[in-house]
Amino acid sequence: MPLPAFTLHRPRSAADAIALLDEDCLAYSGGTELLMAMRMGLIRPTALVDLKRIDELNTITLGADRLLIGAGASHDRVAGDALVAEHAALLATAERLVGNARVRAQGSIGGNICFAEPRSDVATVLVALDATVLLQSASSRRSVPATEFFLGPYWTAREPGELLTAISIPLPAPAGVYLKFQTVERPTVAVAAVALPEGGYRIVVGAVGDLPVSADYAQLTAVDAADLAARVEPVSDLTGSERYKRHVTEVFVRRAVAALAGGR
Amino acid sequence: MTTSEHLNVTAEINGVNVTESVETRATLAQFLREQLGLTGTKLSCEMQVCGVCSVLVDGEPVSACTYLAADVDGRRVETVEGLANPGGLHPLQQSFVDNFALQCGFCTPGFLMMATALLRRNPDPSEEDVKEYLDGNICRCTGYEPIVHAVLDAARTMRGAT
Ligand SMILES: Cc1cc2nc3c(=O)[nH]c(=O)nc-3n(C[C@H](O)[C@H](O)[C@H](O)COP(=O)(O)OP(=O)(O)OC[C@H]3O[C@@H](n4cnc5c(N)ncnc54)[C@H](O)[C@@H]3O)c2cc1C
Ligand code: FES
Ligand code: FES
Repeated sequence: MPLPAFTLHRPRSAADAIALLDEDCLAYSGGTELLMAMRMGLIRPTALVDLKRIDELNTITLGADRLLIGAGASHDRVAGDALVAEHAALLATAERLVGNARVRAQGSIGGNICFAEPRSDVATVLVALDATVLLQSASSRRSVPATEFFLGPYWTAREPGELLTAISIPLPAPAGVYLKFQTVERPTVAVAAVALPEGGYRIVVGAVGDLPVSADYAQLTAVDAADLAARVEPVSDLTGSERYKRHVTEVFVRRAVAALAGGR
Repeated sequence: MTTSEHLNVTAEINGVNVTESVETRATLAQFLREQLGLTGTKLSCEMQVCGVCSVLVDGEPVSACTYLAADVDGRRVETVEGLANPGGLHPLQQSFVDNFALQCGFCTPGFLMMATALLRRNPDPSEEDVKEYLDGNICRCTGYEPIVHAVLDAARTMRGAT
């Protein structure tokens, strides 16, 4: 199936890209989501803006108290980056497990969260790490916590004129374990279990429902896997019924907690 | 910066510099197959799942079914046609033959390109590494064991081991 026609823009700076963006003119990096949605007729932009030629979107830098990951960085790039490995190892772990080798080379971390496909490894981990996303339009810059960025399936707080420039992870980032159950291209259930730097623990259950479900606990023994499994809202599909997915959720929460308690 | 329906793409394709006017909406697979006649790159699922369209852009594997031809402008593209040299088959290709790692051969170009990418980043992969890296490629004929063995064998040959 051929793609519908569109105009292509290839700016070299974020500012030039932002000046172009609106409801009909969409940014893309890997195109792993956008081109497929266009081919299926689900999204019909009149113009596209290639972000791959904008160097400033592809940097990973360490600030005084945060790690900044450019929106255009590929999954592979993030997974293999030394700063990410040192300061946000959980993200590197999850990025290594995304999709297949082509999706990891082609797809960007920014495209993953802007598309907001619910079965996302990235979203699950960003919620666990208290990440914020940096959005920039012609007239404003704002920083939105991951928990407020994801509004529903394929729906985020980003306005059409806004470019996601970077993902910001406050340091020290929580450390912990990331477990997922996956039988097809995308995860069925993803669980991040982390020890929070200020004390206590956080469990994030992602991919299984419309939005990641996050809960903090003073002690690991207080984690109630059955309660978390009751709180997610799985969608029945080819990878399992709602009941099955709740069961898998409970099992994976228990495994993640056990792994975290065991110091892995 | 702005172009409409067509744009000029200059790319190094299997070591040869090519400049062509391509439709903005053309995929890399269409460009390679229909415009350049490089039909070694196949198309099947067009959903980035089966891997028969795998090619390398600046050394990185991409799904040519879901990648714009325009995006290779200024870049280096490697397809299965570039693997063999006049002296003979590439060690990976020879190893696929020796290990009976193909039947109909439709999936083979994709597996070869993914294996090329893998062995460049990891010349000495474990069996697990091979399985993991190739799990985005589907073969309907041979089963996967001979393919995995072919890649491991080729890796040994390419490292110069016996
Ligand atoms: C076969 C397959 C398997 C996959 N498996 C997994 C998996 O296991 N886990 C997982 O988490 N994900 C998975 N994914 C999703 C994958 O991670 C995303 O497709 C990819 O990261 C999207 O990045 P992209 O650069 O290709 O996005 P694009 O397709 O280029 O863009 C996606 C959307 O985001 C917008 N956009 C992109 N960048 C920006 C920006 N900087 N600012 C504003 N808007 C922007 C675009 O307008 C578009 O609407 C899979 C995808 C495929 C196709
Ligand atoms: S045709 Fe591209 S992955 Fe199947
Ligand atoms: S040899 Fe026929 S699909 Fe793999």
